[in-house]
Amino acid sequence: MADDHVSRRDFFKTVGVGSVASAVVGGVKEGAAQGPAPLGPGEVAVTLTVNGRRHQLNVEPRVTLLDALRTRLEITGPKRVCDRGACGACTVIIEGRTHYACSMLAIEAQGRNIRTVEGLAQGDALHPVQQAFCDHDALMCGFCTPGFVMSTVALLEQTPSPTPEQATRALDGNICRCGTNVGLSKAVLALGGRRG
Amino acid sequence: MAEQVPEVRAPARPGQHPTYPWPGKPRIIGTRVTRLDATAKVTGRAKYTFDITRPGMIYGRILRSPHAHARLTAIDTVPAQKMPGVRAVLPFIEPGDKVLFPGEEIAALAADTEQQAEDAIRAIKVEWEVLPALATVEQAMRPEAPKVFEPSNTRAGTAQEDGDLAAGFAAAAHTVDGIYSTQVQTHTSLETHGCVCEWEGEKLTAWVSTQAVHGTREGFAQGLKIPQANVRVITEFMGGGFGSKFAPDTQGILCARLAKMAGKPVKLMLDRKEEHLATGNRPSAFARIKAGVSADGMLTAFDAETWGTGGAGAGSDFPLPYIYTFPNRRRRHTDVYINAGQQRAMRAPGHPQGCFITEVLMDELADRVRMDPVEFRLKNLPALAPNAQWRRYFPMGAERIGWSRRHVTGDPTPGPIKRGLGCSANRWGGAGTGARAHCEIDPDGSVVMRCGTQDIGTATRTIMAMVVAETLGLEVAQVTIELGDSNFPFAPGSGGSTTAAAVSPAMRVTAGKARDALFARIAPALKTTADQLEMGVGRVNVKPSTGSGQAAATPRSLTWREACKLLGTTPVSVDGQWERGLSASGTSGVQFAEVEVDVETGITRVKKIVCVQDCGLVLDLKTAETQCYGGIISGVNYAVMEERLLDRNTANMVNPNMEAYLIAGQSDMPEIDVVLVDQPERGVIGIGEPPAVATAAAIANALRNATGVTVRSIPITPDKLLAELQRAGGTN
Repeated sequence: MADDHVSRRDFFKTVGVGSVASAVVGGVKEGAAQGPAPLGPGEVAVTLTVNGRRHQLNVEPRVTLLDALRTRLEITGPKRVCDRGACGACTVIIEGRTHYACSMLAIEAQGRNIRTVEGLAQGDALHPVQQAFCDHDALMCGFCTPGFVMSTVALLEQTPSPTPEQATRALDGNICRCGTNVGLSKAVLALGGRRG
Repeated sequence: MAEQVPEVRAPARPGQHPTYPWPGKPRIIGTRVTRLDATAKVTGRAKYTFDITRPGMIYGRILRSPHAHARLTAIDTVPAQKMPGVRAVLPFIEPGDKVLFPGEEIAALAADTEQQAEDAIRAIKVEWEVLPALATVEQAMRPEAPKVFEPSNTRAGTAQEDGDLAAGFAAAAHTVDGIYSTQVQTHTSLETHGCVCEWEGEKLTAWVSTQAVHGTREGFAQGLKIPQANVRVITEFMGGGFGSKFAPDTQGILCARLAKMAGKPVKLMLDRKEEHLATGNRPSAFARIKAGVSADGMLTAFDAETWGTGGAGAGSDFPLPYIYTFPNRRRRHTDVYINAGQQRAMRAPGHPQGCFITEVLMDELADRVRMDPVEFRLKNLPALAPNAQWRRYFPMGAERIGWSRRHVTGDPTPGPIKRGLGCSANRWGGAGTGARAHCEIDPDGSVVMRCGTQDIGTATRTIMAMVVAETLGLEVAQVTIELGDSNFPFAPGSGGSTTAAAVSPAMRVTAGKARDALFARIAPALKTTADQLEMGVGRVNVKPSTGSGQAAATPRSLTWREACKLLGTTPVSVDGQWERGLSASGTSGVQFAEVEVDVETGITRVKKIVCVQDCGLVLDLKTAETQCYGGIISGVNYAVMEERLLDRNTANMVNPNMEAYLIAGQSDMPEIDVVLVDQPERGVIGIGEPPAVATAAAIANALRNATGVTVRSIPITPDKLLAELQRAGGTN
C-alpha cells in the first residue's frame, strides 16, 4: 500500500480535475505555512452534503465523488458508465452547475451542496422534469436517465425557456445508447414551453 | 441467402381458432401507455445489477491480457494475496496457455473495496512470451501471414449459387464492380456486463445484467457444475445489452467462484475498457461484388466474394444479397480470424451489413440505367406478402420525405453544402414462442402476473400489463407484473426481437384462463354458471337471464372487487403459456434519409430520417415508436460515427472508451418521422431490431445523391468522403 501503487489512470483522473489542489488546501488550513498537508493514501474522514443531508464517511482520497455516493452512501441514481467524463451518466448538480461525479474526488466535494436525482421528487410527486421524461417516453433501459434528468434540471433552472438550440446543447454532455433522444427533445421543449 | 424468408406464421392448428384470440375492438392494446417502470427510472429508485449492495459484499476484479497473442510463461499471485483487503485470488489460465486477444481473462480476485481490488490486481506478476498477432483482416489473409489460428486464419463459410451466372451477365446492359465494407462496432451497453453473486450453502443467488435470466441460470449451473435448481438469477432492471448479454460469461463464473472462496457476496462489474474488449461486437463485412442490370432496369446477375472478421475464432456471416431478387447469383464467404475479442449477436445480426452493401449497390445500378432509385427498387422487389410490404411502403416513405424534390445524383447547387435523399429496405423475423406465466387473482382484487422474462428497456413490463388489463377488464395500473427472476415460470431470452411475440400471447392465454377460473369459482355464489358471466370494464356482469324468476334476486353486475371478494380466502392461481395463433414472424420496413454534406470539410449531417415499419399487432404505440427512434439512432451511429479501431501493430483497441468511440449526442440527431403500420390480423411480432437495419444504407445513398461520389465503406468519415471527392476530381 505505498504511493507507487497509484496508477497512471488515477493520476490522470486527478490531474484532470483542475480544482483538486485548491480544494485540498482549503480543507487543511493549519498546514498552510508549509503548503498543503498530504492526505492519504489511507482513508480520510469526509463529510458530504447530498440532497440537503450531511453524511460522514471514510474514504481514500483517490475515491471519486461518484464511487463515494454509490458504494458508501448507496445513492445509486448517478451511474458509472464511462468513468472518465465522457458520457454524463453520473451527472450531479453542485451549486447550480452540472458536474460529472466520476471526475471529481469525494474530498473536493466537501462543503458543497450536492444534488442527485434522488433529491428531486417530493414524496410521490415527481419533479416536472421527471414527469416530462415519463410523459414523452424519454427513456428505455433507463441507465442514462438520471444523468439526463439532472442535466435538464440544471438547464431549466438557469434558462427556464430555452431555445431548441440551448436545449440540445445542454444535453450534449450525456449519451444514451438506446437512442431515446427524440423523447428527450420532446420532453425538454415541452418543459421550456410550459415555463415560458 | 437473399430469397424471401417464408413467413413463419404460428397460426392456430388447422381448423382451430385460438382459445383466447386478440380482441376485435381493443380498449387498451394499440393505445399509448406510459411505460410502467418510468417512475422508478426517472427517480433513481430502479436498482440495476450495478446498484445492488448485499450485506458484507466485497468487490471482484479481473486481470486481463495486455497482449493480442502471447503465451503465459509464469504467473505469481502470492503478492496479490498479501495485499490489504484481499479475500480470494483465482488464477484462470496456467503457464503454457495462450491468449488470443487483448482483454482475455488471466486471473481474478476479490477485496474489501474496489480500490484494494485494483491495487491487488496490479500486484499479480505475469510473464509472457509475446507471439505475432493479426490486427486486420488484410494481415490475416496474406499468404505469408503467421499461422495464429488452427487449422487456418481463415475458414470457408457460406457458399451459394443459384441460376446461371454467365447468362445473367450476358443479359446485363451494365455492370457495377466494387468493394464494399462495414466496420466492427461494439455494443457499448451503458451498464457493463457483470453480476453480484451470493451463496447460501450450496445455493447461489446471482443478480446479473442479462437478457436471459433462465439462460443465465443454465450457464451458471453448467459452469459451476451444480444443479440448476441451486441457482437463482435476478434481473429486475437492465442497462442495455443489444445482444451481448445472454450468459454468465467468464466474469460471472469467476465472480461466483470468488464469492464461494471468500464466503462473502461479491460484486464484479466490468469497466468500460473491458466492456469494449471482451463482451462482443458486430463483425466487420467486406464484399467484392460484380452485379449486372438489364437495359430496362431488371437485376440480372450478382457475383460476390465476401469476408469479414468476428475476432478470434468467431464467424462473420451476413445475408447477401439483401431482399432484392437477383435471378442469377453466386456468393462465397470466408471468415477471417484476427486477435481481437469475439463477436456476439448485435441488434439484427448480419442485417445492417447485408443491407448497406446491397442497397448502395442498388443505387449504383439504378444510376447505370438512369432510373429513379425508388422506381428501380419497385421493379426488383419480391411480390407483396404480409411479411413483404416494401412495394407499399416505398411510395409511402417517398411521399413522407418529399422524394419528388430529389435531384439526380450530385447536387447541382453551387457552394460547398450539398443535400441529398436516399432510401433502403429492411426485413426481420421477430417470432417468439415458449413463454410461460403464472397468474394470481387475490380475494382483494389484486392481480399478479409472474413470468421469467426480463425487461431490457423494451417496455416488456408495460405490454404485459396492457394485455392482462385488456383481458381482465382492468386498468393497466391495477395489474402487478413480476419478471426478471428465474424462479418465475420459464420464458426465453430476450434476443432476436422475440420477447413481445413470446410473452404477450402467454399473457393473453394465462389471463384468459385466470378469468375463466374466477368465473367458475364465483358462479355458484351468484346462483348462475360460469358461462353466464362476462367481463365488463372493472366489472363482472351476469348475462341477461332468459326468464327465470330467481334471476331478479341476483345482482346483474358486480364491481371487480366485489367479484373477487367472493373467492373467500383462496386466490385464483393458474398457469398458462404461449399458444399458436396470437403471434407471427416477418416484418418489413423502409427508410428514407436526407443529408447535408460539406464537401470542403467532408462532414455529413443527417437531417431527417423517415421510417415506415410494421410489427404485426401494435401493443403499446408509444413505446413501439420509441423502439423505432432508438433503432434509427443506432443506424445513424453505424453510418457516420462508431468504429472499433485497432492498432495495426499490436491489435490493441485504441478507442476503448466513450470519447473516442463515437456515439451520437443530442446535437447529432436528425429529425425522425416514424410511421408504424398496424397489422392486427397477423398477431404480435417483435420491433426491437427491424428499425436498426436500414438507416445506414439510406444515409449512404443520400450522401451519394448529394455528392455524386460513392463511399462504399462505413462509417462514412470525412477522410473517406474527401478521398472519394478528390478521386472524382473535386466538385465545382
